[in-house]
Amino acid sequence: MITAPSTAEGFPSAAPRASGSEGFLSAEDLAALNPPPVIGTPGEFPFTRGIHRSMYRGRLWTMRQFSGFGTAKDTNERFRFLLAQGQSGLSTAFDLPTLMGLDSDDPRSSGEVGRLGVAIDTVDDMLTLFQDIPLQDVSVSMTINAPAAVLMAFYLAAAEERGIPWDRLRGTIQNDILKEFHAQNEVVFPPKPSVRLVIDLIEFGARAVPQWNTVSISGYHIREAGATALQELAFTLSDGRHYVEETLQRGLPVDAFASRLSFFFNAHNDFFEEIAKYRAARRLWAELMQDEYGATEPASWKLRFHAQTAGCSLQSQQPDVNVVRVAYQAMAAVLGGCQSLHTNSLDETLALPSEQAVTLALRTQQVLAHETGVADHVDPLGGSYLVESLTQSMHTGARAYFQRIADTGGMLAAIEGGFFRREIAESAYLYQQQFDRGEHIIVGVNRYQSDEDVRPEIMSIDPDVETDQLASLRRVKNLRDISDVARTLDDVRRGAAAGENLLPLLIAAAHTRATLGEMMQALGDVFGTFRFAEQ
Amino acid sequence: MSETSPSENRANAALIGTRVVLAKVGLDGHDRGVKVVARGLRDAGFHVIYSGLWQSPEAVAQIVADEDAAWLGISLLNGAHLTLIPRVVAALHHIGRADVGLIVGGIVPPADIPTLKAAGVRLVFGPGTTIDEITQALSPPPETPLDLDLLCKQSHQHDHVSIARLLTAASSARDGEAIRTRFAATDPQATTMRRIAVTGSPGVGKSTLIAGLIKSFRQRSSCRLAVLACDPQSPVTGGALLGDRLRMADSVPHDNLFIRSLATPSGLQGLAPNLDVMERILAWSGFDLLIIETVGIGQGEIAVRELADQVVLVLQPQTGDSVQWDKAGLWELADLIVVQKCDLPGADGMLADLREHLTRADGSASPIIGVSSHTRAGWDQLITSLG
Repeated sequence: MITAPSTAEGFPSAAPRASGSEGFLSAEDLAALNPPPVIGTPGEFPFTRGIHRSMYRGRLWTMRQFSGFGTAKDTNERFRFLLAQGQSGLSTAFDLPTLMGLDSDDPRSSGEVGRLGVAIDTVDDMLTLFQDIPLQDVSVSMTINAPAAVLMAFYLAAAEERGIPWDRLRGTIQNDILKEFHAQNEVVFPPKPSVRLVIDLIEFGARAVPQWNTVSISGYHIREAGATALQELAFTLSDGRHYVEETLQRGLPVDAFASRLSFFFNAHNDFFEEIAKYRAARRLWAELMQDEYGATEPASWKLRFHAQTAGCSLQSQQPDVNVVRVAYQAMAAVLGGCQSLHTNSLDETLALPSEQAVTLALRTQQVLAHETGVADHVDPLGGSYLVESLTQSMHTGARAYFQRIADTGGMLAAIEGGFFRREIAESAYLYQQQFDRGEHIIVGVNRYQSDEDVRPEIMSIDPDVETDQLASLRRVKNLRDISDVARTLDDVRRGAAAGENLLPLLIAAAHTRATLGEMMQALGDVFGTFRFAEQ
Repeated sequence: MSETSPSENRANAALIGTRVVLAKVGLDGHDRGVKVVARGLRDAGFHVIYSGLWQSPEAVAQIVADEDAAWLGISLLNGAHLTLIPRVVAALHHIGRADVGLIVGGIVPPADIPTLKAAGVRLVFGPGTTIDEITQALSPPPETPLDLDLLCKQSHQHDHVSIARLLTAASSARDGEAIRTRFAATDPQATTMRRIAVTGSPGVGKSTLIAGLIKSFRQRSSCRLAVLACDPQSPVTGGALLGDRLRMADSVPHDNLFIRSLATPSGLQGLAPNLDVMERILAWSGFDLLIIETVGIGQGEIAVRELADQVVLVLQPQTGDSVQWDKAGLWELADLIVVQKCDLPGADGMLADLREHLTRADGSASPIIGVSSHTRAGWDQLITSLG
């Protein structure tokens, strides 16, 4: 039967492991589930089996490799290389100063400019980043959160300056601050104004950039921080609920924005558990949207998601083995019905991926799509005793977490009380203890080790990147009209204090070449700053 | 794979109480690894001080100095190790703690390891490391004899490293008696150092209140401020995770601010051992103000009365805390009662309740102040009351 391991408080934290008394399940086990599973039909409510009737037979998932490093010019070259290799969408990684809303010339940025992603200080960097790339044809994803509204303002200002209408733009901005508070830690402002910025972008996008996914509600980082699959599922959907509830507060009807909410999940090692997680996520979201928020458009019910293979599962010992891990994880994401996928590169525990490693990761997806045949079948695991049982228990477990969060007083109270961070840290430590005891076997690490020292060629960042970026920022600053900048920044401060939607004000500031750091400072003057108080 | 369980391996008595600072420098927010290692080391008997995110190299060196750490672990997953580690090393040299055992954990390309080692890093741990591998690599601090005369002289000149060494020695089996004798003649009450104890149940916001006090007092020029923060120690392993300081200090170090975390065994009334001697050391070192944070077990903290000029009891609305303190009859200990988070609903009721109840047999009453760190309400009154 199905057993759900429990935490000390009696709530399931780890996914249940289905194992009949002899290691298999049967029709009786499925019939005995209470409540019974809702399997349904692909493309129909509640979409357990996928959001499209024909799934990949109609259109393959988007192969979207996350990349970015150095200056905007360096990343632009990598983007054009990836498009030439057959990648179908772009995904932008920003450097840590940008993620934290700091300019490259801020003393706190020193040593980190262009290192883990591309450095963007002004709209001019954004123009360089997408130079010669037809933004009306390519979908662009941007992984940015605390300063998401500012980066979106840069992007929209850049499109305006290139004469591309906003309604032609397609893409996704992550804009998910709640998981930053739970797990990823790139936060600048306190929770309340941080969420307000997220909602400003959702609201503005619904009106002005209709094809843009204004938030990518992310479980990926929650999982990487140590959460279980169930926690990833439950916390991510809880975050989604909070955004929906806050946007409804603005008076926007649910069907006006719900179809632009997208999701981002981890693709981890436990193959069937991962597939069950995606299937349960779709069903839960469809039920929530219809029953709790009264959405009537089918597009509002459908949970669309991007998946990325688990960075934390990669090992630095025998790094070639990572290719195999990534391939299985990617297959789980595809059997789970993802809309787009990033496959990690084998060398990511050592450094940023080399061009060769990125190509191999992309090829892994291409083999999956064109050679394995998995794309020819819609939800091939639907009806499997095991997968349906797991899906059902994920569903039940997530509902129990929703109740717990509500009992804590809702999302913001749970954040302030440290609920999510405690839960995740607990799971991370539990996993480490199990690993230390040898209960998890990791090939090449605690079993099948090899003395052979394989060192893949590693990409290193040109040490001149920081100098180059500082020089180009200086140039922009010298050429701009400082009184225009000051005026638009005052408008941002005023709008922040008055509760106006900040996007139009940030876009105006972007056109004057106000920097990311200046705009974030203007917002911080009103919102205050935030530090984590670990418990 | 080891055949013995990790807890068996941890029975290395010599390591118990070894002080380790774990720190994140720069903008990197990846803290899964550092938090897991912090808990693992605690369970192995170490006394672990975690810095929190976004520290500057200078702030980390200051923590190492104040905490008298034997080991410093820096966690880096942002690729900036070649820039940031040399800066940490330089800051350690500058503050006089180049001797600390420096460890780096996180994502470090193998080719960079020789460079880091040449810069002074002793050990580098990557993904897939077990907690046992780390604990086995960390030795207890070397048993070097103390030069008491020199330490006293330098402490008097406000050298943080020497002050921190004396505080450690005050509780050591080898030097404790010598330190007690040495400072027997220093009477904190006879010096100008004022002592404020902050007490209250766990989680009520004592550290946050102290952070606010630090900020306010530091605005007065030349106020030399010391904090002794007591956190619980595991009765089973002897380990402790000392997290109060990360709620107290910002990432900019100040020469006039000294914060020391103290592991506190259960059954000592919420206070670390030898606090009386530590007070003498700090008084000798020229501090103007000492703030003591108790563990906050809520019971039997009468001892703190002996060690402080003023006792501040912290309460929080909606916790049922007031009843507990009422029952325990501890109201009378407090010279001042502070209600935290008075912007929360229920705070007004609690304040009114308290004012009604709290009159001593002789008719006197301690002032009750509601504060909020969100709205800054009550803070001026609090600071005035503390003089």
